[in-house]
Order: sequence, then C-alpha cells, then structure tokens
Amino acid sequence: MKDKPVKIEITDGAGIPAKNDAGLISAWWISFIGAISIITYLVVTKPDPYKDILMFVPDGILVTFQVTIFSIIGASIIGLFTGLGRISKNRFFNLIASTYVEVVRGIPLLVQLFYIYYALGRVLLVPDMLSAIIAMSVCYGAYMGEVFRAGIDSIDNGQTEAARSLGFDKNQTMFLVILPQAWRTILPPVGNEFIALLKDSSLVSILAVADILRRGREFAAESFQYFETYTMIALLYLLITLILSKGVSHMEDRLNHYDR
Amino acid sequence: MTVNSIIEIKNVYKFFGDLAALSDVSLDIKAGEKVVIIGPSGSGKSTLLRSINRLEEISRGSIVVDGQDVHDKSSNINNIRQELGMVFQSFNLFPHKTVLENLTMAPIKLKGIDKEEAKAIAVDLLKKVGINEKANVYPSKLSGGQQQRVAIARALAMNPKIMLFDEPTSALDPEMIGEVLDVMKNLAVEGMTMVVVTHEMGFAREVADRIVFMDDGRIIACEPPETFFTCTDHPRLKQFLSQIL
Amino acid sequence: MFKKIIVLLMLSMLVAVSAQAELKTNSEGMPIIKVASDCTWPPMEFINKDKQIVGFSVDLMKAAAEAGGYVVEIKNVAWDGIFAGLAAGKYDCVTSSVSINDKRKKAMDFSSPYFEVTQAVVTNKDSSAKTLADFKGEKVGAQIGTTGYFAVKKTDGVIAKSYDEVGLAMEDLYNGRLAAVVCDNPVAADFALQQAEYSKRMKIAFNVKSNVAEFYGVAIRKGNKEVLELINKGLAAVVKDGTYDKITAKWFGTAK
Repeated sequence: MKDKPVKIEITDGAGIPAKNDAGLISAWWISFIGAISIITYLVVTKPDPYKDILMFVPDGILVTFQVTIFSIIGASIIGLFTGLGRISKNRFFNLIASTYVEVVRGIPLLVQLFYIYYALGRVLLVPDMLSAIIAMSVCYGAYMGEVFRAGIDSIDNGQTEAARSLGFDKNQTMFLVILPQAWRTILPPVGNEFIALLKDSSLVSILAVADILRRGREFAAESFQYFETYTMIALLYLLITLILSKGVSHMEDRLNHYDR
Repeated sequence: MTVNSIIEIKNVYKFFGDLAALSDVSLDIKAGEKVVIIGPSGSGKSTLLRSINRLEEISRGSIVVDGQDVHDKSSNINNIRQELGMVFQSFNLFPHKTVLENLTMAPIKLKGIDKEEAKAIAVDLLKKVGINEKANVYPSKLSGGQQQRVAIARALAMNPKIMLFDEPTSALDPEMIGEVLDVMKNLAVEGMTMVVVTHEMGFAREVADRIVFMDDGRIIACEPPETFFTCTDHPRLKQFLSQIL
Repeated sequence: MFKKIIVLLMLSMLVAVSAQAELKTNSEGMPIIKVASDCTWPPMEFINKDKQIVGFSVDLMKAAAEAGGYVVEIKNVAWDGIFAGLAAGKYDCVTSSVSINDKRKKAMDFSSPYFEVTQAVVTNKDSSAKTLADFKGEKVGAQIGTTGYFAVKKTDGVIAKSYDEVGLAMEDLYNGRLAAVVCDNPVAADFALQQAEYSKRMKIAFNVKSNVAEFYGVAIRKGNKEVLELINKGLAAVVKDGTYDKITAKWFGTAK
C-alpha cells in the first residue's frame, strides 16, 4: 500500500472544490451566487431581451445535458476498455487501444464532429444527436483511457499479487480489487474531463444540434442582440459547470471513506 | 521420499536476461513440514518462494504442488493457488475493504461459501490471530503488526494446505515482530505445511524442521536446525551466519 | 526599451481606432470601403477553385466602385456574427445576399435594393410537397439567421434546423437527414441544378409564397452616411449604364 495516493493532474475543466481547499470553496460560492444574481438581475430589470433569451434556450439546455450525460457514459465505457487495452500484455489489444488513442488525440474534436456527421453521413446515416454523442464519446474516450490507465498503474502491484495468490483470476482481480481502488485516483481527473466535456459539447452546435449555444446563436442572428445573448449564454454555461463540479466533489468525498 | 511430498521442486532454473536468479534448484517438502529459507538479499530465496505459486514464471524445471504441475499451462493455476496461502512482506491488504471483508471476499467469490458462514469463519480466524475487535475497520486504521496478522488470517480463510511467507516481518517495527511470529508459531503447532523466507534466526531455530540456505540462486545447504548452525562445511554459510548471529 | 515598445503599440492602436471614423484612401486618393461577405452562397458570393472571392454581388460591388469613384476590399466573413462585426466597425458594409426587412432596418442601414429574391424550397426529386406546411413533422433546414430560416420557423409543425452554412444543410438534405432546405432562389438553383451530384437527387420544388417582395441590399453600419451615399451612387450608375444587366447575364444567363 502506498501512503499517499497518486494525483493525476489535468488542467482543463473547472476547479473542483475540495473540502480542505477553503480558497476554492469561496471562489465557487462567489461564482455561483454571482451568476445566479446577475441572471436574476438582468431578467428582472431588463426582461426585453434577457427574459426572452432565457425563454428561448431551455430546450437547448436539455439538449446540452443529454449530449453531455450520454457522452460521459459512452466515454467512460470506451475509456475503461481503452485503459485496460493500454495496460494489456496482449500485443493485439494493446496496439488497438494505443493506436486509437494516438489517432483520436491527433484530430481536433471539431474536425471529428464534422467527419462523423458529414463525411461519414454519405455512407452511414447517423441521426444528428447520436452522431454528436458518438463523436464526443470517441474523442473523450481516448482521454479517459489515459486517465484509467494512469489510475490502474497507480495501484501497487502487491494488490494484484495478493489477489492472484488468493486464487482470483485476472478479471476478478481487475474488477474486485484494482478498479475499486483506482476509481478514487481516477475520479478527480474524470470529474475534470466531465466538466471539459460539458463545455466542449457546445461544439456540437455545428451539427445543427440545437444545444444552448445554437439556440443562443439563433436568437442573436434574428435579434442582432449579440452582447445580451452571449452574456446570458456564458452565464448559463457557468452555472451548469459550477453545479456539475460541485456534484463531482461530493462524489469524491463519498469515495474517500476508507481513508479516514 | 517423493511419495508423500506435497511440494516437489525439480531442477528449476530462472533467468532474468543473462542473470540466473535460480539455478538447478531442487527441493522436496513433505506435508506438515516447516521449511525456512534464508540467505543474503539477491540469493533467489524470494524468487523460489514466489515461483511455488507462479507469481514468478520459471525458465526450466518443474514445480509440482499436491500432484499438480504449477508451471504447466494446462493446469488451472487459480485452483492451485487456492491451496497455497501467501503472506507478503508488505501485507497487501485490500484497503477498500474492511478487515472482515478482506477475509470473506475470496471464500465467497471463489468457493461459493455462504455469506454468513464465511463471516463466521472469518470471525473465528480473527480471534485466532487476536484482532477480532477490529473486524469492521479499514486496514489503514491498523498497525503494521495487526495488518500482517489480518493478512495471515486472510490467507487462512481459503483453508489452504500450504502457507508461504515472504519475509513477513521485514517491514515491521521491532516491537511488532513478536506478535506476528507468535501467530506463525501457533500455526506451526497446528501442523500446517509452511515455507518461510525470513531473517528471524530465532524463529528458524525454534520452528523449522529444515533450514535451507541459498546463495547466488543455488541451494547451498539444507539441514535440520540442530546441525545447520554448527555446519561448517560451507564457507559462504559460515560467513553469512557469522554476520547475522 | 520595453516601455518604448508598449507606448508605440498603444499609439498605433490609437491611430487605428481614430482611422475608423473616416475611410482610408489608397495611393490614388480613392476611398477604400471594406466589404464583408459570407462566401458560401453561390452564385451570389463564393470562393472559386483559385481561392478567389467571386460571384454576382462581387462583380456588382466592383463595378459600382469603379463607377462611384471608390475602391472595395472584400473579405470572407462567416455569416453567424457578420452583423456583429459590422456593428463593431470591423468593416464598413456587408454585401452578402442580405434581404432587407424591418427588423434588420432597425439595426443597420441599407443601400437601395440591388436584387429581387424569392425563397426557394429544395427537396428530394420524389417529393410532392407544394407548401412548407406539407413538411409537417419533418425536418427542414436553412442557414442560421436567414430569411429562409425565419420562414421555416414560422411554419407550424415543421421542425426547423439551423445550419452555419447553407452548403451543410444541402449536404444533410442529400444524405437524407432533412426533408427540405429553404434558401434564396439563386443559391437554390446553383446547388440543386448546377452541382452534378446534388442535381441527381434534388430539385427546386416551389417558392415560398410571400405578400411582400424581398430584395437584397448592402447593409451599412447605422448612421454611416458617407459609405451609404458612395455605394448608392455607384449602384445607380451601373444600373443606368447597363453594366448591371451585363453582370446579371454573366451569372444567370439572362438579363432580368
């Protein structure tokens, strides 16, 4: 057993407030209350156009949530298998997983979105929402794979040996002993990936998927109120991201029980 | 002699690149026998122990445990390992499970033992190693000595025929070594087959039926304790003993 | 040293800002008007194979400039945000098949109309739809913030999909994700009739009925009289001397 769990640092994504990090907690509250009060203030004092904007985008918020949540699920599954493939001693699986990571990390998400939707659209008609989710999952699956790999690597080899010497096979060892422990190391960077994914989900608006950003652009293109519209859109994204980061930090607290 | 041997190690070689970690090692261990392996670091004693349950692959030779060839790809190593309890220097308890869960996990998942029954067995074992009051805490709350006793109990929970100990007291503070050795001595009294890699000469003298001295990947001497410590045929052994005694 | 550079930079920025107030002139003393066009709108304004900005409105703007005694610099700007750039003073006018309507007139000034346009509906060849309402429950696409998109959105029961470029909407129609695309008739003609691959599957089914005639105008930042007058002067001149008809003949085959 290691005395200190390894921390995997990933820079994108919002700061996830930790209990012992007083500075970040107050920053979180300032941003959260700030965002809510600015939205409220704008809607109350200038209902035209702020209330109109707020009334225009709710279905976009729903779409953003759908894309984000399904992509998170997809990326986690792909990421888990990629991570397992990357540490696999089987050359074939290892090569597939490594190549996938290499290829996906070498292509910008925006290009991947265009590719899956428009280029592959000629041969394979994937509905817009689904292609957005597939593209996001495939892209983030590669990053998550690296996180999973690092998380699994961080678990002491003695754990594997102990489990194997009791008679557990490779899979049982992985799923009963290694992953439950790795999850704790993995969660902070995964939480960061979730938040980054939520923000990047705004890119799917290029697929004519009516998310928050697309709805905002439609409103702005008709009303020419760019400042007002994008102010509102930015505040809405900020609010959602803050709520998600809070959720991730709660999940971390719950997973830390055996350390205390 | 081989008829009632529970472990048969025959002409085993293990190479790391060009380096021979084990060369031409043969050793038979009878059921109920207690064998202590000593030797300087890098002598291959841990490698030998770990190849008995195939945590290390061997390059040549054969190891047969209870009639099954450990290193034959066709034998089910997971079943063989259930017969071989292993205790590590660094305890390797599962930190995400409570003490009790550490003991019940393998019997429930691997032997299909009923949860309540597994719990009862685990509680008995924890009493035996003297830490039943800690059943529901996580390992990080325990001292090193307590963790190692739990680790022994965890291995025993699978009801193995043989117990392998890989330097079980080397990572412990001196005041905790005694409590772990006491548990091992009790186990020896009960008639468990034990193979122990250790530096504890007192333990070796008291418990071992035979003491094996290894150096440079070879078995140099293999004697009962009464002759082992007076054995002067081997200069390397003599030198080693003069250093540690 | 660093301070000097910073001061210099700030000074040059000041110069740039103050220069916005009136038009720059070229070496011959002719005023330069900066024009933004979303060059995804063939045949009105688009990028040809040699990466040049070409099209009906491009020729028209150049001819008008020549006749009006000024110079135009056209640059390609994405439609989404093209008016925000105009308002922010990044260029002087937008010539990008902008239909004149009341809502836009509140936000910007328009030159005299230079082209009459109708909204054409492009569908699959086998479609029997006669009005937009016939696409009830189906997805109809158009470019974001265009008259075509507003027309789709106004139609009850039709699912409106907005695209960054009309070409992407056409691609989705071709691939089968959309039932129809609505856009200006010259553009519809170019995609549905001129493009070999598209013309196999697509047709212009009908025009959207409208009580009011729709015209393109050059959009100019509100209150910028100087540019408005220059452009109107140039446009009037090319209509008068017959150049307008020549350009129309070049791009649409027939004079209007």
